[in-house]
Amino acid sequence: MGKVWAFFVRDFLWELSYPLVPLWRWGGIVFRLVTFYFLGVLISPGASSYLAPYGGYYFPFVVLGLALASFQEVALTSVSESISYGMHTGTLEIMLATPTSLSTIVFSSVLYQFSIAALEILLYLAFGAWFFNLSLAQANIPATAAFLLLALLAHLPLGIISAGFLLIFKRGSPITVLFGHFSALLGGVYFPVQVLPGWLQSLSFFIPFTHALEGLRQAVINGKGLLELKTPAAVLCILAAVLMPLSLAFFAWAVRQAKRLGTLSQY
Amino acid sequence: MSAPAVAVQGLSKYFPQLELRHLLTFRRPEGVWALRQVAFELNPGEILCILGPNGSGKTTLIKLIATLLIPTEGRIFIHGQDTIRRPMLAKRRLGFITCNEWSFYGPLSGWQNLAFFARLHGLDPRTAIPPVARLLKLAPYLDRRFFSYSTGIKRRFDLARGMLHQPDLLLMDEPTTNLDPIAAGEVRDLIGRLREEGKTVILVTHRLGEAQKLGDRLAVMTAGRLHEIRPSPQESLEDLYRRTVQEEGGALG
Repeated sequence: MGKVWAFFVRDFLWELSYPLVPLWRWGGIVFRLVTFYFLGVLISPGASSYLAPYGGYYFPFVVLGLALASFQEVALTSVSESISYGMHTGTLEIMLATPTSLSTIVFSSVLYQFSIAALEILLYLAFGAWFFNLSLAQANIPATAAFLLLALLAHLPLGIISAGFLLIFKRGSPITVLFGHFSALLGGVYFPVQVLPGWLQSLSFFIPFTHALEGLRQAVINGKGLLELKTPAAVLCILAAVLMPLSLAFFAWAVRQAKRLGTLSQY
Repeated sequence: MSAPAVAVQGLSKYFPQLELRHLLTFRRPEGVWALRQVAFELNPGEILCILGPNGSGKTTLIKLIATLLIPTEGRIFIHGQDTIRRPMLAKRRLGFITCNEWSFYGPLSGWQNLAFFARLHGLDPRTAIPPVARLLKLAPYLDRRFFSYSTGIKRRFDLARGMLHQPDLLLMDEPTTNLDPIAAGEVRDLIGRLREEGKTVILVTHRLGEAQKLGDRLAVMTAGRLHEIRPSPQESLEDLYRRTVQEEGGALG
């Protein structure tokens, strides 16, 4: 635990050195909320039957989409960013010269960013509730927390695979960037998936973000529990169970390749 | 009889220049031999100074011993522990001093930087940092941000980081480069004290005088091969170095 704590303290102190950065980020959340609040006013309640499964209001629907999209972005990019910094500066080599396991380095490097990303989801909800009458009265807290965790576990492997590409080719996998765009388009951030043509809806089933967002929306807006949401939960569990060991094995292989190729400190 | 501090056996390193097109076309990548059949043993308390032109393979050798590269051929033992089969045990006994001032977190203080790396060694920073801070006279600087230090102070922090866990073997890659004569002298004095404490040091340097002063053994790396040299009254170190480089070839390119 001491090593995990070391990474958390390091990243916290780093953030503390630039106190305006979180303020700007949180300010960005408020601006996004204001924008989508007025867009929600434009789309009057009941105007679209597609929103009926989500309580009929656009604002709570899109707030949860935005919040989970930013959480997903952290999952997809944080490992690569951390590894990239380590390669640029040489800190990765120093860490690898200590008796610290690869998995500790990978997971601990992103722990603080995930804590902040989870906090930002709370900020989305809190700002929405305080300033824009977002109702959280029905929210099922355990199911919400479970879907955030599952969203993290299903998306983090893609970030780890991207970091593996970075180690060998000095560039992250473009698949991760594309995946982020596809998730926003097909996962239902701005509009319900049901709006899409049938073939795109079928495609969206294979994106973990779709299931994570559906579960999160149903848990927060309709107060559904995990038993009622077992299909999206099961899909995310299966994806996480398959992808996590695969991604860690790929990353370990990538580090071995980097040690063979001498690219640990090249960029 | 105890195992040597370091035993390097038939060590070679080939760097394939892998690019995406090699994966797509299944073509074998071209590459370069950075080390060829390097072998030596060092006993506890010995200092080996490695000289050589830029690009001759010195840093590659240091990184191989530090487990940051995987050899193409050969094996490395640190106090009897195979660095490939049991890297964690080997890492506990070696201190890697990169002399790369960027390998710290600039906005964090010296203490915070050392505390992070101490924890990665499984140490309590409150007990690990004070002895090295005293040894390297770092106490007045511990609370300042790392990016505010001079090059000399940064180098001392680099040495401190490599010594936090009291390793038996220290790998130093040009520790006096870019230092003023007084700061460089202090680093040399420190290395001398390490020898008195029984530490083993592999020191890569371009300064012949430094190598002659500190080295129990001297070697020249040329084109990936290590040649142990012994200056004599008939031939100075500078002449011997020049002759070795001219006869054996210089850099790998």
